[in-house]
Amino acid sequence: MALKELSSLEKCLGLKKPNKYSTQGERKVPVLQNNNGPALVGLVTIASHLVHEAKRTELLGNSAEQRAVVQQWLEYRITRLDNCSKEEVKVILKELNQYLEDKVYLAGNSFTLADTLMYYGIHHIIMNLAVQEKEKFLNVTRWFDHIQHYPGVRHHLAPVVVLRNRVYPSGQH
Amino acid sequence: MNLQCVVLQSDCNNCGGILIQYESAAGLCPSAGTVLWRRLRNSVYGCSWRRCSCLFVCLSVCVAFCSNGVEPSSRPAAVRQTPALPDAAPTAHKAWESEPLESHRAVRHTAEGSDALTCAQRDRTLVRVQELTPHRGGQLVWVRARIHTSRAKGKQCFLVLRQQQFNVQALVAVGDRASKQMVKFAANITKESIVDVEAVVQTVEQKIESCSQQDVELHIERIFVISQAEPRLPLQLEDAVRPETEGEEEGRATVNQDTKLDNRVIDLRTTTSQAIFRLQSGVCQLFRDTLINKGFVEIQTPKIISAASEGGANVFTVSYFKTSAYLAQSPQLYKQMCICADFDKVFCVGPVFRAEDSNTHRHLTEFVGLDIEMAFNYHYHEVIDSITDTMVQIFKGLRDHFQTEIQTVGKQYPSEPFKFLEPTLRLEYREAVAMLRAAGVEMGDEEDLSTPNEKLLGRLVKEKYDTDFYVLDKYPLAVRPFYTMPDPNNPKYSNSYDMFMRGEEILSGAQRVHDAQLLTERALHHGIDLEKIKAYIDSFRYGAPPHAGGGIGLERVTMLYLGLHNVRQTSMFPRDPKRLTP
Repeated sequence: MALKELSSLEKCLGLKKPNKYSTQGERKVPVLQNNNGPALVGLVTIASHLVHEAKRTELLGNSAEQRAVVQQWLEYRITRLDNCSKEEVKVILKELNQYLEDKVYLAGNSFTLADTLMYYGIHHIIMNLAVQEKEKFLNVTRWFDHIQHYPGVRHHLAPVVVLRNRVYPSGQH
Repeated sequence: MNLQCVVLQSDCNNCGGILIQYESAAGLCPSAGTVLWRRLRNSVYGCSWRRCSCLFVCLSVCVAFCSNGVEPSSRPAAVRQTPALPDAAPTAHKAWESEPLESHRAVRHTAEGSDALTCAQRDRTLVRVQELTPHRGGQLVWVRARIHTSRAKGKQCFLVLRQQQFNVQALVAVGDRASKQMVKFAANITKESIVDVEAVVQTVEQKIESCSQQDVELHIERIFVISQAEPRLPLQLEDAVRPETEGEEEGRATVNQDTKLDNRVIDLRTTTSQAIFRLQSGVCQLFRDTLINKGFVEIQTPKIISAASEGGANVFTVSYFKTSAYLAQSPQLYKQMCICADFDKVFCVGPVFRAEDSNTHRHLTEFVGLDIEMAFNYHYHEVIDSITDTMVQIFKGLRDHFQTEIQTVGKQYPSEPFKFLEPTLRLEYREAVAMLRAAGVEMGDEEDLSTPNEKLLGRLVKEKYDTDFYVLDKYPLAVRPFYTMPDPNNPKYSNSYDMFMRGEEILSGAQRVHDAQLLTERALHHGIDLEKIKAYIDSFRYGAPPHAGGGIGLERVTMLYLGLHNVRQTSMFPRDPKRLTP
């Protein structure tokens, strides 16, 4: 799962040479063995490394504040989103919905690694939502639709259909 | 009063005055209805009811009085039907004439005084609460209604009197008409008791918002309790009518649906229930009228049948003398037999029994089915057009004549008004599947629509075409019953259709197989025992016209038209797997 993400990320970043990853531990944490230096363990670590390799550091944020927010969301992905239970899903969606009310991207005003990794992480949840629920968490759906159509982001994941018009008028359940 | 009387004898035994006997004449005080008398002057008696001014003649009784006014020593005899003169009618010396009788009515044969009261009360003309409007200002009227609420405040008691959907404020105040005891009596009458009041209609300057009759108030002069209600009611009517949201916000009580259904008699008195069932009666009537105008014939089909028509699983068994029989799941077979019997266009309104153990918001074990069957000339779409036109006429009739009821229901259960197109929107099943796929639902071409998909489709259609009512034509053959005619152009589909209101199915219909041979093949294909449906197949062996039809559920149509969420609200005494009473 994480390995597919990393290979997608590589394609997305335009890295020509795919790396070989191995996994460690029962949680299948990806490991990248480098020639020079210690092994890189963890999705976020490797992802950041890949971004630096591809010389696309703007994906990690331009200002110090943006960089911090990107790191915050990368951590959110690993600690909260991965392997969350059904009850937590509702809480996460509600939080995200509230956060995204006035933002186009998760961190700052430009597309960052946080958007990509959160998109990969949340895809399986959004895919299984009914149309009515998607309309309930309107901001999440809007952000998701925006990211999944971003050139180069969606590789191994199925597109999720988002209707252009609201089918359930507000207030009705 | 013209009193015929006869002088009996010239001197009274007691006092020596002249004994006079009144000839009987029918009459009793119309106000009091009792035989009460007080002596006005010699030989003239008048009604002793306090404020009544009519003079009367004693009923059918001959009483001898002494002209000096000594009271008769014996009580008046029982009232008799025909006037009778006593046998001892001696020489009539004179006929006395006095003032003309004011009111003078024939008395029905009654046994005792209390029934005589009923006759008098029949002289009260009761006015409907609906008619209490400013143009009756100043009039003294009688009203019979229920006590909806009562509130006493020292020397006054405010009552709200309710009659079906209408209510009016009434006031009992201590004054020259009412005593303090009367105010206390009025305040202590239990809620929901039926009372007769005589009151003066007063116009008010400030509108009484909480009542339906906002411009008038009744000032009560007399109040009688006709039927008293027990003091502890199982549920309060204001609570039963309160909308859910208001109950939550303000923390006030609302009544659970189960409680309402257990005490249906009281729940049905609420304005909302009255409105719902008047509208349902309207649906039934519009259905009948529209179809009769189209040349349909109403039939009644048997409900006790020998073989389960739609498969043995969902049918109630009854013991029928030495064998058992079944309660009809639908009038399908008999409708078709009527078509084969040359009735051409038939409809029937009757109960339908489905023993499905479904505890959902839209299933009942017994409901009223409105079924249509029609022979057509060239294409089964003629039948679809006929059915949809009937439905549109029903919707129009409800919209035009039942707005008050719709608004009343809307107060407790707010919803969007029902929208429909004319001519009715007709989509093909294939288009519907495409729409659902475009919305992200994965389903096969020949797969049946699940309930969530039906609802989603309803919303998509509403969003795209702005209608709550549409027809889905050409269902896949695999999901329809054996008697459905396959599509001649495409063997995977059938000439069958479903109609939806607000995304929920209300009608399932199809062109039926009218050829016995083809019917047998289809039945075998579905693995049905031919012996069980032999009578059905036989009815097509002697010439049957091509025909189609469908059936709707009355309760579901009312529920979906009003935008309610549970079919039990539109069934007067609902039956479901868990409820058999009331």
